[in-house]
Order: sequence, then structure tokens, then C-alpha cells
Amino acid sequence: MALSDPTLAAIRFGYGLRPGSDMPSDPDALLAQIRRGVVAKPRFPREGISGRREAATRIISLRAAEAKAAKDGKPNEDIRKQTQRDAQRIYRQDAMARLVQSVQSPLGFYERLATFWTDHFSTSALKSLPMRMVVPLYEAEAIRPNLGGSFSKLLKAAVLHPAMLIYLDQTQSVGPDSVAGQKGRRGLNENLGRELLELHTLGVGSGYSQGDVRAAALILTGLSVDNRGLDVIYRPRFAEEGPISLLGREYDDEEGSGQDHMLMLEDLANNPATIRHVCAKLVRHFIADEPPQDVTDVMMAAWTKTGGDLTEVYRAMLTHPRAWSEPGRKIKQPFEFVVSGFRALDLPDESFASMLKDIDDNAEDGGPVGKAIALAGGEAAKENAKRKANRAKSLTLGALQRMGQPIWQPPSPAGFADTEEAWLSASQLAERIAWSRMVARVFAQKLDPSDFLEMALGDAASAQTRKIISQAPSRVHGITMVLASAEFNRR
Amino acid sequence: MDLFKGISLGGIGQEGGRLSRRGFLAGACCVAASPVLTPVTFAAMPGDNRFVTIILRGAMDGLDLVQPYGDPAYAALRPKLGMTPDTGLLDLDGFYGLNPAASALLPLFQAGELAFVHAVSTPYRDQRSHFDGQDILETGGMAKEQKTGWLNRTLASIPRSDSRRAIDINTSMELILTGPNSSDSWSSQSDLALADDEIAFLDRLYAGDPAFAKVMEEAKQTALSAAGAFSGDEKRGAGIADMAQLAGGMLRKDYRIASFSINGWDTHVGQRNQFAKAAGELATAITTLKQALGDAWKNTVVLAMTEFGRTARENGTNGTDHGTGGLAVLAGGAVPGGKVLSRWPGLAEDKLLDQRDLMPTGDIREIAAAMLYKQFNISPNTLTTKVFPGLSFDTSSVYLKG
Repeated sequence: MALSDPTLAAIRFGYGLRPGSDMPSDPDALLAQIRRGVVAKPRFPREGISGRREAATRIISLRAAEAKAAKDGKPNEDIRKQTQRDAQRIYRQDAMARLVQSVQSPLGFYERLATFWTDHFSTSALKSLPMRMVVPLYEAEAIRPNLGGSFSKLLKAAVLHPAMLIYLDQTQSVGPDSVAGQKGRRGLNENLGRELLELHTLGVGSGYSQGDVRAAALILTGLSVDNRGLDVIYRPRFAEEGPISLLGREYDDEEGSGQDHMLMLEDLANNPATIRHVCAKLVRHFIADEPPQDVTDVMMAAWTKTGGDLTEVYRAMLTHPRAWSEPGRKIKQPFEFVVSGFRALDLPDESFASMLKDIDDNAEDGGPVGKAIALAGGEAAKENAKRKANRAKSLTLGALQRMGQPIWQPPSPAGFADTEEAWLSASQLAERIAWSRMVARVFAQKLDPSDFLEMALGDAASAQTRKIISQAPSRVHGITMVLASAEFNRR
Repeated sequence: MDLFKGISLGGIGQEGGRLSRRGFLAGACCVAASPVLTPVTFAAMPGDNRFVTIILRGAMDGLDLVQPYGDPAYAALRPKLGMTPDTGLLDLDGFYGLNPAASALLPLFQAGELAFVHAVSTPYRDQRSHFDGQDILETGGMAKEQKTGWLNRTLASIPRSDSRRAIDINTSMELILTGPNSSDSWSSQSDLALADDEIAFLDRLYAGDPAFAKVMEEAKQTALSAAGAFSGDEKRGAGIADMAQLAGGMLRKDYRIASFSINGWDTHVGQRNQFAKAAGELATAITTLKQALGDAWKNTVVLAMTEFGRTARENGTNGTDHGTGGLAVLAGGAVPGGKVLSRWPGLAEDKLLDQRDLMPTGDIREIAAAMLYKQFNISPNTLTTKVFPGLSFDTSSVYLKG
């Protein structure tokens, strides 16, 4: 099946068609999105970057003070509960904002890349309570502004962010021969060193050894996070002295300046294994589970030629003929599926605001408004509020949870699976049909299914699918089938 | 206080048959605010009388629910689906018999609380599209641009009281109650499982993609309860009962008009089993309504109707295809029950419409108009100008004689 370029670009390289939205049709138009995206302010964190830093450090210090008081026999349950509720609510609002960001942004390719890199450099909001607030900040300030420049810069921004240092326990790691290490209370933690080589750069099975993992971990010692301002700091007392040998190069922490890890990251960023690993992963994500070697090859060449300029690497992929042929080889991940469904429906901001309000009003952590409603309305109103909240959740964050892709909660540092095997199963299909049905009932009762098919898939719908949709036994089931169709679930 | 001032609920704009972006946006924003599922729509008004519509979506085969076994042509048209009292059909009057899957309706029929109206249709002809057919059933007119439901227009014709509570004005509503007159939408808790015809459509949808076809097959086999969509017949039946229970409960209190839908009637393939399930669900809905309404049942009319009937002949896949003349069901203490009302056109080749469909001899809209007249004393003039413009109806209507 051949697709028109704009349809293919929207489905394969963006979050799907949206009625009335501009449709990029060539590599230049897609790449232009990156220039606009990197300087745009995302919808999260809700308070903005500096506002979030303040909010997060406030909650961290409140909890630290409480923990200290508790040790002295004066626990304060209220502070613990209140900060927990605050963090939960902020996380939920940010997660919804991330969903809306992807639905509403006209920069589909940029948004897809932001998701790709946030996943490549996975961190999880589930790691600890403060991480509910730090992970959105991480995506906004480490990933999004840097995904169009050099890989080296992106790597440093991601790995050296408090979110990553907390997620992969770097704040716990102490060089065995460092000043602190010699006191013997704590030792080396290899977590970040290992994932850095295995996931972020060289790739598993690319030939590095356990010795290299340890070396990377040693070079990273000294890096930590100062909770007072949520800043990355260097603690010379934790740092292992050099020279430390990694992949044939000696790294020396000269006079405790703590720059050896920067050199290591720069070297890793342009290691041939890294280039191969990252290029193949991009192709695997955008084009096919089995990445065509010829596409990977031109991307690797562009990387080598430009020193890892990611925009040029994307350009090499996008200008390859295979980028525009054989559509539908990937199964959409749940987040992509849900986002593209809302885009096809052309759902406005108010709808999401209203759903978030329904959830907030009924939440345990609900603000004064929710509580007032609960008090004023009696049982029936409470029941109705609960029903609305459940429905709003099932349509959005709850749906992603059920489908196995909750926002900012990857199952491991390796991120979410990205293969047909993972996302095309009986239970997955059942969930997607159920979601489609719910969405059809709530938002699309009166739409004509054939019109909706056109909006959702354009020329990507097969003649057979067109025919079946037009014969559906009801509008609701017609809309349901558009969203549940193989064409809509592939990209 | 004017309770019926304009609250617009999710009208979707259409221009020349094509969806306009602007209209779509307006629709989406209004219906989006408060998500519900399996909505039951209501309208409240004074007086003791109640009126319920049940839309049977997918084209219910009236010739299967109420079988004209006494018609000499019937057995030949329906060699696999047709029954007789000797093979289990529940005789109604020596000519028609009730499909045993709906046996729960028989006691109501015998008690004079249920009637069938055979060989009826809307004015819709020839195209046989579910969407258009349902639109006409719900708007009550032929005009494509007509986007208000006849039940909504009915509201404006009934004297009002201000004793009514608003439940929720922002939820999604079915077309039959959509329009400028305010009514409420409430949803039952259960997510309805997929009906058999819906599953059959999904099978067809995935047939061209082997990977999807395979997991669809697995999803059906394992009857995954996970999402509720494939949760099976038992849960689906309970969901229908929930919906009817909710409607009955609301009608027993402040509300006087309610509407909901039952899917599952598009039986192109393997009709016998699919139809039995859907017919059982219809019976469940009606008997549950009766039970939930309690004393109010005696003042109630339930009208169950479908967009069109199905072919008189069975097709090649043990099912039936889209037809024209169909069947309506009237239930409640206030209906002229205990009989099958119809001007039977006959099933002989030359009596069929286009040599294929049961010839309609009655208009569903006239049945509805008669019931609205009876329940709410709306004048024939209003009914034929405001509610069903162009319909001919007066107090001599056969549906008022019973």
C-alpha cells in the first residue's frame, strides 16, 4: 500500500492526523519543527521550570525536617500526608499536561522525539515521592531543549540531571578509595555506570566488560544532588581518585576538579558502538522492529561526519526512501494510540481541563473546591462526582495505566518496550477496543463514522475498512472500529 | 422559571453531508465536559404518566422475534430460522408466535401489558444504511439537516412544572433526546460488553490483517474480563438490567420520559444464537423496567423500535440482511396489550417490497404519536406539525383503539 507523504509523515513521524492541522510532507518541514520545539515552553511542569524547583525543594525540605523530627521522637503525620498529597496532585496534573501537550502540539515529529529521548534516558516518577515532581522537570529542561543539537550535549544534560542521579542511585555511590569511602560506611554503586554503557551509549553486547562498568561507575563518583536547590553538585570527598581506565583511555580526576566524567561522556557520545546503537534504535522506533540496515548506515555516516549533530542524523533518516515507504510496520505504543485518538477527535483544551477537574474534584488530595462540593452535595452528588472522576480517569491516565504505559513510569531504566510483540496481544487489543468504545460514546455519538475515518486515517484506511465502517450497526460502533482498526493501531 | 430554555447538547454540524471542522469543534467541546458511558437519557415533567423509548440499534429482525408462522410463505423463506409451535415457538394468536428467547415477555402479553406492531417502518427507503436509518428514527423526519430528536421536540409540547432537578447537563446524549429542550443524561455504572454483531464486525475489520486477526481470536477465546468489552453474555445481560433498573428508578421518582438503546441486532451471520441473546436482553430490559417502576408501571408506555427490518429471506450465511418493514414493541400498563397489531401485508413474492423485504403497512412515527397523545395529551395538531412534521395522525388512529 502506498500512502501520500503527508499522511505517512503524520502517522509514522508524528502523533497522527488532526482535522484542520498543517501536515508536513517532507523532511525539511519535519526538521523545521525541531527548531521551533526546542525553544517552546512545554505545558509541564505546571509552575514552570523555576517554579517547579521551588515547589520541589520546599516539599523535599519539609519532608526532611519531618524525618529528622520523627527521629527525635516528634513525628508530624500531617506534614507527611500533606506533602504526599501535594506531590501526587502535581504529578497527576503534569501527566495530564504531557498528554495534552502531545495532543495539541502542531509539532508532531518534535513531540515524538521528546518522547523517544525521554524514554531512551528513562527516569521514573515512582522512584520516590520527590521524583513525582522532578521527572517532569527533567523532561522539560534536560531533554526537550537538547534533542536537536549534538548527542554529546543531550547525553550530558540527561545523565547529569538530578532526576537521573537520583533514579540510578548515583547520590548513594562512593568511591572505595575516596575520603568518605575509606571511612568504610558506604561504597560504590554501579547502577548509573552500568546503564550509561548498556542503555544510554554503547548498547548491550557491544563488547564492553564488567571492568568497564566498574570504571564508569568510579569515574562518576563525586556526582551528587544538593536537595536545597535541587542542584547537581560535586563532592570531592566521595570521588575516586584516578587514573581510572575505561575502554583504553585513562581518566584522571586532577586535583578534584571533577571534570573526568565530562570527558568520559564526550568520549562515549561518539564511540562507534554508541553511534550504531542509537541510530538503530531510532530506526527501530520510527520505521520497523527490524531496522533496515541501509537506513541505519546513512544515519551513522551523518553522525560521524557532523560529530553527532542529531538534526543531521534525523535528516539522514528522513531523506532515505525507506522512510516514506512500507507504512504500518510498527504497532503504536499505548501513549501514541491514545494521543492519536484524541487528535483524530480534534478534542479541544477545554475537554481535557474538564476531565482533569472531574478527577481533581473527587481526589483524596482534592483541593478546597472538591471538598466543598463533597460536603455540599450529599450522597447523590458525591456518587456523581465519583462516577465522573472514574470516567475521566478511564479515558486518560487510567487508560494508559491499563494499557501498560503510565506516563513517566517506565518499568525499568530500559524504558518501555517498542516491539509488536509487546503491544499486540489479546489483552492489549481488548483494552484498546474498550477505550475506543468509551471514547466513541463520550465524544463521538453523533459523528458520521465514515467522516471520522477520513479525519483519523485519510488515505491510510483500506478499501475494505472503509466499507466495513460504513456498514457498522451503529454510529458508536462505527467510531469504535475506526479507532480499534489495524490501520489506526499501526504506524 | 423556564426549565426548557436552550441548553444545546453536542449538535454536530454537517454541511452538505461533510463534517465541518467548526461544527465538529462545537460538538466536541459541549459533549466533552463530563464523560459517561451507556447513557440513559431522561426528561422530567408533571403528571403520572411515563414514556420510555428503547432504540434497538442494528436493525432488529421482526420476522424472527414475532414469527408469522401462519403465513403460507414463511417456512420457505426461513428454512433455518423459522419455527412453529411444534418446534418451540410460543404461540400468540394462532398466526404469530414469539421467539422463545424472549419467553419472559409472554406473561406480559398474556396479561395485556404488551403488544407487538408488525410490518412497520419509518419513511426511510432504499438505502438501508444503519446510520441514516437511525437518524431518521430518532429525528422523526426525512430531512438530513434535521438534527433534533423527536423526543426532545416532544418536551416543548408538554405543560411543564418546575419541580424538576437538573442532574447533569453536560454529558453525551443520544440523538432522539438532543435539541434545544433541556433534558438530563445519567449513566449506569456498568460498561456494556460488546454485542455479538459488534464482535462479528470486529472480526471482519481484522480479517485483512493476520496479526490483528490472531489476537482478536485470542481475546474472544479467553473472554477477557479485563476491559469489560469481552466480558461475555452474563455480564452484558447484567449491564442491560442495570440500565433498565436505573431508568425505572428515575421514572419512579421525578422523571417521566427516558430513553436508552440496546445493540446487537445486526445479524448477517449465524443469526439464531446472536438473535437469541439480543432478544433475551430486550426481554430483560422490559421486565426489569416493570419491576423497577413498581406501581408506576400501570401508567407507563414503553416503545421499543428499530431503524428498519431485515430481509424476508435468509441469506447464505444463516442470517438476514438489511430490509425495510420491521416490528415495534409496546409494553406497560397503559398499552393496548395482548395482541399483535398489524395490517399484515403477506409474505408471498408479489407482496414483498422489491421482492425482498416485508412491506411496511404502518409508520413507527404514528405509533409514537399515538402514545404521546395518550400519555401526555399532546394535540394531534402539535404532533403533526412540531413533533413529527408531515405525519398524518388523528384520534381515529388504529394505535389508539387497541
